[in-house]
This record gives sequence, C-alpha cells and structure tokens, in this order.
Amino acid sequence: MPDAVKKPIPRPSPESAPYWQAAREHRLEIQHCDACGQFWFPPSLSCPHCLASDFTWTPVSGRGKIFSFVTYHRVYHPAFAKEVPYVVALVELDEGPRLLTNIVGVPPEQVVCNMPVEVTFDDYDEGVAVPKFTPLKAET
Amino acid sequence: MIEPSRELRDVCAIVGAGNSRLGRVPGVSSLDLLVEAMHNAIVDAGVKVTDIDGIICRGPDESYAHHQLIGARLGINARFSTTLDNGGASQILGVALATMAIKAGMASTVIIGFGRDSWSRTHSSKEANLRNETRPDSQLAHEFGPEYGFFGAVAAHAFGATRHMHLYGTTRDQFGAIAVAFREHALRNPDAQMKKPLTMAQYHEAAPVVEPFGLLDCSLRSDAAGAVIVTSRERARDLRQPPVSIKGFGSFNNLRGWFADDNMVTTAAKNSGEAAYRMAGVGPADIGTAQIYDCFTYMVLTQLEDYGFCKKGEGGPFVASGALRMGGRLPTNTSGGQLSEAHCEGMLQVVEGARQMRHTYSAERQVAGANVALVSGHGGNQVCHSTLILGRA
Repeated sequence: MPDAVKKPIPRPSPESAPYWQAAREHRLEIQHCDACGQFWFPPSLSCPHCLASDFTWTPVSGRGKIFSFVTYHRVYHPAFAKEVPYVVALVELDEGPRLLTNIVGVPPEQVVCNMPVEVTFDDYDEGVAVPKFTPLKAET
Repeated sequence: MIEPSRELRDVCAIVGAGNSRLGRVPGVSSLDLLVEAMHNAIVDAGVKVTDIDGIICRGPDESYAHHQLIGARLGINARFSTTLDNGGASQILGVALATMAIKAGMASTVIIGFGRDSWSRTHSSKEANLRNETRPDSQLAHEFGPEYGFFGAVAAHAFGATRHMHLYGTTRDQFGAIAVAFREHALRNPDAQMKKPLTMAQYHEAAPVVEPFGLLDCSLRSDAAGAVIVTSRERARDLRQPPVSIKGFGSFNNLRGWFADDNMVTTAAKNSGEAAYRMAGVGPADIGTAQIYDCFTYMVLTQLEDYGFCKKGEGGPFVASGALRMGGRLPTNTSGGQLSEAHCEGMLQVVEGARQMRHTYSAERQVAGANVALVSGHGGNQVCHSTLILGRA
C-alpha cells in the first residue's frame, strides 16, 4: 500500500530487542528465569517474580486463552481505518504470561473470553513481524 | 495489614468548597479555571486569603511546580506547598496530605484543587484536535500496543468491562442504568455540562467507541476545576459553613498493572476502601451517599462492589435496581459525575461529597438523612486509588 498510512512499527527497547528478533523469524520467545523457573512478559532485565537477573529467552507453545478483549469501532489512528471493527485482546499463554495482541481469522462477534487461541505472525513492512492470535484449530 | 491511624479521624474538616465554570469555557487556561474555583472556595468558607498557609495541587502534566503559580495568583506565601501526582487518585491524596500537614503543625489552613482545560485543549477546534494527537513522544507507548491499534483509556477500561460481563453476566443495560441515573442528577445541577435528559434507548443508540463501551459509557471532555479548604475542627467552628468532618482516608495502588492478576475486576478500591473504613470507624452500611470516580460506567459498577455495597459480581443488579438514583439505596454522583456534570479527575467528587454533608442543598438535590459520604479517586493507568470518608461534624 504505497500511499496508505502505515501502522505503527514496534520500536524495541534494549530489553525487548530479542523478542522482536525472534518474532521476525516467526518464533514466539519470552524470558524464562534461570533462578525460579517462571516466565515473564513484558521484557525487563530482572525477573518480576524473584528479582534474579539471569534468564534465558525461551520458545513457548504459542497457545493460550483469551483473558479479555475489546472491539474497536472508532478509528484512533488512520492506519486502522480499514480495519475497524478489529479486536484487541489480552491472551494468557499456557506458560502464564499475558500478551496484548490482535485476534485474527475470526469475525469479532464470535470472539469470547476463554477462547483457546494460537499464535500467528503478521509480516508488517520494514522486516517486522507482529505476533497475533487466531482460534486454535480443533485437535485431531 | 498496617492499621491506618485513628488519630487523624475527625481532626480536620472541609470548610470551603468551590467549582469553576464547567464544560466549555473557551479562552480560559487550566490555571485560570483552578484559581476561579479556589476563589469560590475561599468566598464560600469565609476565610481571608492570608489565613491560608498551605497549597496542595496536582499540576497539568506540562507544568513545573504548579503550586507556585497558584500562590502567585492568590498572592500568598505558604508554610506548606506541593504538587503531587497519582493520576485521578491525586485529589483525595491532597485532602489526606493536608490533614497530615495540619496535624503535624506544618500548616493550619490548606487549599487543595485541580483544574483542567480538556475540552478547550482537545475539542474546541480542528487545531485543538490536532494538537491532542501530537503528544510528546516520551509519553507514548512504542511497542506492545500501537502496532495492534491499542490506543486510549476507553479500550483499557473496556477490557475490565468485558471480563466482568464474562464472569458475572453483567449487561450493557446495567451500564446504561448508571449513565441514566447520573444524567438525572446533572439535570438538577445548573452548573452541569449536560443539560438534556437521557433515556435508556438513547444510551443504546449512541455510537459504539470501543466495545463494550459506546459514547455514553465514557466521561466528558471538560474545562473544569474544583477546590476545597481544609482546616482543624477547632478553627472550623468559627467559620461560615457547617464544617464537614474528615473521618477517614485510604489509598492503594495495584502497581503490578491493570492487566495483571484480577485487577481489572477487583480494583485497588477494595484495599483503599478497607483502609478508609477502618480509619473512619464505619462500614458500607453507614454510607448515605457515594461520589465515585466515573471515568466510565463500568468503573462505577466494579467500585461499588469493591467498596462492599454489594457482593462482587452483583453490581449489575444493584445499579439496575435504581440504587444510585435520588431516593435509592445509595444515591451516587449526585451532581452528575464525570459522565454528566464535568470531568475534573475526581476533584468535583470531593466538592460534591462535602456539599452533601453540609445538608444545605435544596430538597431536590439533598440526599435526605445521609450523615456519611464516601468519595473515590481512580487513575494512574487504572491501578491507583484513593478513598475519602466525610461526615457531618
């Protein structure tokens, strides 16, 4: 879309850069504490559970449930004018942390709390991929 | 949990209350609105401006040492003065800090206030609208939000509404009952920004903003200021107005975040309220009127639960029963609230709580028989909270 207004591109902080680098390669990785074994998000330089500063960026399942969500009807940014109505959700990963994201691949009126979802990656311009979530396909 | 000090119960009183013109007040800065409200509070109290030796305010974000500007406009020096910031929870903290300062002998009579020019700054013209969109980069989120189209306070609070609806079957009809009740109150308040009646049908017809919120779930953009004057109960006896006793206050801050734990459904009002009740020596059953921080309809419903006026999850039926209307079980936001009077980040809730406790309103605005009032303040990215309990002296 040459003349269209672009969506805001995430501007990583030093702490979050590894998250976005993994996303670019379509992997969802978050910080895992070497000391207490818990995951956390959003990125920071020490574990919010035990304050230890040794951690490992670790791939997660990419699966979780919708904790809560909202549906935008008003356009707050011109890049989203063609997206309304769109869903912004808080997804609780199976590993525990909650991520703010979009729910895609399902009409907004069918989105409900506790819906099982899995990650999918949306390639924005400028080599950035943004993790989004879509309803989990039924296990076979 | 630490017990709040009962030594501060009924030690100080609110002796003056004032508001500026409310709503659309073009050409007047937030500072000028605040000074207007303070003048009105000073006249109301019947104190000399030189009797005031304390100033506490919350400044607009772009201001440095706002209290100094106020002192200059009022023409006074002060023994105690400061600007504090805890978002919409600031204004009650100002009253609490004034009480502490007076008890500590650092001041004898303190003026507290807040003003904003939100309508003029953002809605008065296309230029103002544009300026609103050019907030400084340092205040904007750069990741984990904007790339998903997540902007604004409406959506943040709407997350809580969705979750509450999911857990407890709360409905938009119940949110609407709050908006309709507060509009009824505003129609009895000649200063209120909203002048026309509101029906439930109109509530439902209003444009959706961020579902589950429509336009009438959202508070107003207002030019507005309010102020109160606090002094010792002893001094209060000689002043013009029936003194309103400061019985208790509390605060709590769920700093782990709105999206953490269950904070979007059980808010910081719970712990803040318990602290204030203990200091005041009262409970929910003693409260005759509540002035609740109503940035959005849902926030009233969940705070009423957190304050113990009904059980968690029963806020929907509680508000739908007509409890919040005059003559209801708990007349709430009796001047119209931020949904229909004007949005002044909780300052006008303090002003109205004090006025109700004087029992000097005309019968149509007075909550009959209310001897204790609860006031709430909420803000700071949805997690900071303060509570004030006022009573007839």
